[in-house]
Amino acid sequence: MSLFYDSHLVLIQSTLTGLLMALSIQVPLRMGVFSFAGAGCYGFGAYAAALLVIHQEMGALEAIALAALMTAGIGLVLGLVLARLNGLYLAMATVAFDLIIGVIAVNGGEFTGSSTGLYGVITDFSMSQMYVITVAVVALIAFSELGRTGRRVEAVRDDPQLAASVGVDVRRYRIVAFVVSGALGGIAGGMNVMVRSIIQPLDIGFTLIVLALTMIIVGGARSWVGAVIGAVIFTWLPDLLSAVGQWQELIYGILVAIAAVLLPRGIHGVLVDGYRWGKRRRRDGRAEELASDDGDEPELVLADPAPTPPDQHGLSRPTTDARGRA
Amino acid sequence: MQEILTAVSLGSVYLLFALGMSLTWGTIDILNFSHGSIFMFSTFTAYLLLESVSLPLVAVLLIGVVVGAVMSLVIQKLAFEQILKRARDKRSAEMQILIGGIGVATIPLAIAQHHTKSNPFGLQESTFDVTVWRHGDLFITNVAVYTIILALVLWAATTLWLRLTRQGLAMRAIGVDAETASLMGIDRQRLALLTMAASGAFAGLAGVMFTYYLGAITPESGDTLLVKAFAIIILGGVGSMWGVAFGAFALALAEVYVQGHTSGSWTDAVSFGLIFLVLLVRPAGLFGRKEVRRT
Repeated sequence: MSLFYDSHLVLIQSTLTGLLMALSIQVPLRMGVFSFAGAGCYGFGAYAAALLVIHQEMGALEAIALAALMTAGIGLVLGLVLARLNGLYLAMATVAFDLIIGVIAVNGGEFTGSSTGLYGVITDFSMSQMYVITVAVVALIAFSELGRTGRRVEAVRDDPQLAASVGVDVRRYRIVAFVVSGALGGIAGGMNVMVRSIIQPLDIGFTLIVLALTMIIVGGARSWVGAVIGAVIFTWLPDLLSAVGQWQELIYGILVAIAAVLLPRGIHGVLVDGYRWGKRRRRDGRAEELASDDGDEPELVLADPAPTPPDQHGLSRPTTDARGRA
Repeated sequence: MQEILTAVSLGSVYLLFALGMSLTWGTIDILNFSHGSIFMFSTFTAYLLLESVSLPLVAVLLIGVVVGAVMSLVIQKLAFEQILKRARDKRSAEMQILIGGIGVATIPLAIAQHHTKSNPFGLQESTFDVTVWRHGDLFITNVAVYTIILALVLWAATTLWLRLTRQGLAMRAIGVDAETASLMGIDRQRLALLTMAASGAFAGLAGVMFTYYLGAITPESGDTLLVKAFAIIILGGVGSMWGVAFGAFALALAEVYVQGHTSGSWTDAVSFGLIFLVLLVRPAGLFGRKEVRRT
């Protein structure tokens, strides 16, 4: 066990930073805000933390905290500035923001170490500190999925107009999404540079966005559990596949494509559906025995404040109508 | 003067590439993120074929067009149509298509990267030779001239097709209101396939011309162009044919200017900065109207 732990320490560290990185994109996504700014904040946070350690001789925890504070600020500014944008436009504006951070890192001269990046970020950052930070952050996010907050977040995502009409301040939720996303990205970037002691422009490009998105899509976008599943799979899969042989890249690509097309709510969604299906079957069986209806579960009704019948806005129906007429 | 000449030829490559993306996004609402890998892989196929036979320019172009169109059709059938069939509403469909496109794009990329070890590949084995034409201080390659002509002809043809034909009218109708268009008897699935095939063909064509233009491309070149094409479409306004032409040449001019006046590594920032700025100031693009009306 200990041998396994030591030899896979790098992978464990990558899983933790990958998880926070994925969460920084998942949190806004869960509120219906399609922002990739978390990846840019990851890059900014990594560079900021590295510079603080190198030039200010700051300790790891202070540097990460300060970097996270800065990226939360960036998130706030982005949230205010990009308030008008939605959907694909917001997605691409934030992708552009991320790529600009990368270009600045390349062109930063001695300050950012140009294309070679920053080296020798040596601190006393320990694994136990890394675990504590990760668990604390994940716990906070898990908490936001429960109770009133959780239901409001779902309402903001599924039907912003309806949410606004029942008194939820949609705009404020959107800004909070940006701030949290920025802070998460900053923490992930800061932690990563502490354990690797290096940060390079190549680490923060388009591939970072794709990786984080992949984790969420395959794992599941609705809950932090999905991000955990995704982070574990996509940190460990390349390692396992390298045993399979030279086609690991291709297998990886096929898996991502299949998940993107067939599992819109990810592996977590499939697990939840399976669990509910099992529960319903058991309940129905019991109900039949008693020959009486024991009513709907109040929990389920509350968890879905804006139920949209799947076919009401469906895209496939008009097509079949047209075919029927043609 | 030389800068303008360079910008025009570079802009023509951008136009060829962005034309296909703009067509599917503006009409059938598919922002195809696998467009870049279609661009790359059709050239890659031509490169593989050229290893065994030496072919003239027209044949290489034809390979690019056919491979691009076929790939695009397969992706539409296997990925985007499936996503649309299952999607809950328009907004989630948009995102699923974006993500699906990114996912699908990894497959051709992985194949090409595996085969080339991520090294650049070119089309030097064909019988076509790139020559430089000089006139005083000015020079331009024959590839650049062909690219400019091809880009402008195809752009004009697409514009006229959308404006004047019944199919073009149907496409525009889908762009304005897809459901009503369906009720009027427009077969969306068939038109979507046609549009995707045309878009893929443009991508293949752009791939071959761009590779001759630069000498070689890498498997990752498609991704870079994807972001540039997005900047172009955003700059001009989604669905506007004039917008895409303007955007392509404006981006090329800005890039050539920045390239000439800085160290060169800032060039990439031009397209990213443009995307950010335009979305901030005028989200509908320069040629887009506030109420979406597509031509």
